[in-house]
Amino acid sequence: MSFRDKIGKELLFFDGGMGTLLQERGLQAGEVPETWNFLHPEVIEQINREYLHAGCNVVSANTFGVNSFKCKDLAYSVDELVGAGVRIARSAIAKVRAQENDAGREMYCALDIGSLGKLLKPLGEISFDEAYDAFKEVILAGDKAGADLILIETVSDPYEIKAAVLAAKENTTLPVVVTMIFDEGGKLLTGGDVESAVAMLEGLGVDALGLNCGLGPEQMKKLLPELTACCSLPIVINPNAGLPVVVNGQTMFTVEPEEFAGSIRTLVEMGASAVGGCCGTTPEHIGKVVETCKDMRIVPVSDKNMTVVSSYNHAVRFSGKPLIIGERINPTGKPKLKQALRDNNMEYIYKEGLTQEENGADILDVNVGLPEIDEPRLMQEAVTGIQAIIDLPLQIDTSDTVAMEKGLRYYNGKPMLNSVNGKKESMESVFPIAKKYGAVVVCLCLDEDGIPETVEGRLRVAEKIVDTAASYGIAKKNLVMDALVLTISTGQDNARVTLETLRKIRYGMGLHTVLGVSNISFGLPDRVKINTAFFTMAMNNGLSAGIVNPSSEAMMAAYYSFNALIGEDEQCMKYIEKCAQISAKEQPQSTVQKGAPSGGVGLHEAIVKGLSESAYQATMKLLGENADSLAIINEMLIPALDVVGKGFEEKKMFLPQLLMSADAAKASFEAIKETLSKQGKNSKSKGKIVIATVKGDIHDIGKNIVKTLLENYGFDMIDLGKDVAPEVILKTVQENQVRLVGLSALMTTTVVYMEETIRLLRENHAGCKVMVGGAVLTQEYADMIGADFYSKDAMGSVRYANELFEKGML
Amino acid sequence: MNNSEIGAAVNQKEIYRYLGYGKNEPDGTVHMLVDEVLSELLAVIKPKNSYQLYDCRTADECVFVGTMRIKSRNLAGNLAQCGTVALLAATLGIEADKLLQRYEVSNMAKASVVQACAAACIEAYCNLIQENIRLDAQAKSGTPLFIRPRFSPGYGDLPLDTQKDIFRLLDCTKRIGLTLTQNLLMYPTKSVTAFIGLTGNPENCHIEKCKRCGKTDCAFRV
Repeated sequence: MSFRDKIGKELLFFDGGMGTLLQERGLQAGEVPETWNFLHPEVIEQINREYLHAGCNVVSANTFGVNSFKCKDLAYSVDELVGAGVRIARSAIAKVRAQENDAGREMYCALDIGSLGKLLKPLGEISFDEAYDAFKEVILAGDKAGADLILIETVSDPYEIKAAVLAAKENTTLPVVVTMIFDEGGKLLTGGDVESAVAMLEGLGVDALGLNCGLGPEQMKKLLPELTACCSLPIVINPNAGLPVVVNGQTMFTVEPEEFAGSIRTLVEMGASAVGGCCGTTPEHIGKVVETCKDMRIVPVSDKNMTVVSSYNHAVRFSGKPLIIGERINPTGKPKLKQALRDNNMEYIYKEGLTQEENGADILDVNVGLPEIDEPRLMQEAVTGIQAIIDLPLQIDTSDTVAMEKGLRYYNGKPMLNSVNGKKESMESVFPIAKKYGAVVVCLCLDEDGIPETVEGRLRVAEKIVDTAASYGIAKKNLVMDALVLTISTGQDNARVTLETLRKIRYGMGLHTVLGVSNISFGLPDRVKINTAFFTMAMNNGLSAGIVNPSSEAMMAAYYSFNALIGEDEQCMKYIEKCAQISAKEQPQSTVQKGAPSGGVGLHEAIVKGLSESAYQATMKLLGENADSLAIINEMLIPALDVVGKGFEEKKMFLPQLLMSADAAKASFEAIKETLSKQGKNSKSKGKIVIATVKGDIHDIGKNIVKTLLENYGFDMIDLGKDVAPEVILKTVQENQVRLVGLSALMTTTVVYMEETIRLLRENHAGCKVMVGGAVLTQEYADMIGADFYSKDAMGSVRYANELFEKGML
Repeated sequence: MNNSEIGAAVNQKEIYRYLGYGKNEPDGTVHMLVDEVLSELLAVIKPKNSYQLYDCRTADECVFVGTMRIKSRNLAGNLAQCGTVALLAATLGIEADKLLQRYEVSNMAKASVVQACAAACIEAYCNLIQENIRLDAQAKSGTPLFIRPRFSPGYGDLPLDTQKDIFRLLDCTKRIGLTLTQNLLMYPTKSVTAFIGLTGNPENCHIEKCKRCGKTDCAFRV
């Protein structure tokens, strides 16, 4: 019988540790264990055989540390090392089978895959695709050599795990088991919790999941209930032989076989479907485990039937308490967001996300669709960029299936997808990718015949969608129905139909529901009044999640009141907290702005003191008095910035003050831009500057500080981010005919890429000046690598750029 | 060790130094900003560390740590009288980087303060661990031991390449989630790896900081 037929049906045994056994047999510190697949294959096979003799069903090939990142400097290729490891394990199985002559005992060879040892972008070094390719190489080699299953283990970054699982699913048909390393608090090293990891892995369709390494069996006992509560798959538990103890500089694991087996027995009783060991466990440990547990029956694996989405660090469950899906990242009817998308101004999008998170959103809708832009590319950038700074799960919102797949693929967690509808074409294109990435899909109750006018009509569409989804293997728990909202200004029955449909879907069909609430009032005055009333009615009729604007105080007041009224707000704490926040906001100015005269602050003073809100107000006031925007900039804003800049250079003012002033100036610019755009005008740029942290370098705060200041002085900044390849910088300079480039590097190891970038720009006669800065740079160093200007601090770059501008060189 | 202990161990003056204040005092607004950001940071970080003690000896310009041989005159000088050395890797975790990135989008002034506070926190954290290491080593040797100033790859003539050995010996990625890039930078970025010498000789065991460093034009030098 295949592994897939056995796992979750009867108790299976995995093997134990490899590393410590190899050390006992002469592996030196620093030696790569997998090279022994060639140097001492007999030792590896012996260990595999000892575990099989001990009674394990799954023996792991000696391939844990093999990947293109870790094996760069070895004499063997990834393909060779993996192939050899798998063949050794296969040979061990064949020999033991021949010896034991027990046809009934199943033995499987696992291709053992560990972490790449690299953190993935957007926070780390390597891209998702690079990680995927590295895993793919290992997986193809393992499959070719005859592995029976893929064991991804000792991993703790969900994004890396996703890359590995996709590489397995897209390139083989082998079963996939994932065991992760959690700390005692139940967190992955990247911060993820148990439920979020389970949600993502179930969505991706792994065959079993669980825990290994990091903890001993006793600590895992404390974590297992959290896992069994949310996991609908067979659970694999491979603990260390206790927590590590350092003795004479050596890490030891001290739980003995007998005690280990006793704890494992309890873990099986608690719900583990397969058990084995990790660091410090030996064939004796596994032998005892088999002896102690072999006649046990496993707890049947049951579907927990939860509708859940997750980000990389937490899960959001659909339940009796409604959820808020923030609707603001959607260009429909939002000219500023449209402009930001056209300008590739991601910062604007991120700020919209942060504001919604602060205002209480549980999930963020992300829609970046505009006819004239490359939506798939932008969707990928938005999803990864938002996830770099915001913890909330996202709802990928697009009708472009290419953008949809991009969004889902590069999403870190179990995503929500908006949307599919009852049209054949829609379901045929959306369901396969929704299934593949495990998305929870928003289903619109409309089809080829349009939006049914009656409750029965909408329910029929809903049922059709549920049935079709099932034929793609998508369970009801992964569907959320949108009963559809039409404005009551065009049909007085519209709200009633929606609410009744909602109730029947939620309580009749047992599906969760979602609505774009504010559509109800389209075409009416004072829309918020209708919206809040309808929102409350909808929640009372079974709305599971409202797609609303979390920044609308009225809508959120309706939401918090509703929760308090249905008993979903313990002691009304959340409600009280929100009321306190609102009344605090209504108080004049925060403490930071204390000392400002009550009559408001002038623009000059607001900027010098770094008071953003006052700067905005003062600018608005000036504009209201018909002051010329250019005069405001040149006669008030820039001189105020100069005062701060000079203070900074004279060491009378310091970085935080400089940046607070910069933020205040930015607020003032915002006011000017808003007013100009209302008059159909644009603010004038002093010239474009490309800025980047060079290839290999990841520290970009210095670059961002410089960017902020240059923006304030009216330069149009093209920020390429961090770890930017020289070719990308050259291409951007050429395409945008840029005359000034700013490069930042922090480390001596990365200044070489700064030099390379400058050389590439010169060789291609890019015709631009290059200014450089960063912790390790000096004037001499800058001269040596051929830079035009060395900026020792942030103001230096402003001075240089202004100088070039005045000479007409930008 | 919990985060409030780290908070208590943070040297506020260091934070201002990282912000470029030198010997100047910040004004009330910046004071408040630093307090606010520091508590925000301490609420989210998940510091982790891993260390091991090794026998250590020096000869000529070489240091022998366990089975490792490192050529570095400066490190040899630092560890000259040490029979034991600890290899330490410590990180504030990915949360510090996340907070920094958030503020780089929404509030650059705060971002600069997060940067400075995180730098001070990882220093404070290392100082706390260092005392544990000292007690641990002292218990093993049975004689009073003192700690030499921490010495990290990249200091003086100690090659940055040494990072690779430290990462391998301490299994940093698996144990504390610390990764090393191709260019030998660390992720999460608010992290420290170091050699910490332990000696019976109490002389020169204060923290030297700037005095020892050759970069005299550094903006942060005091």
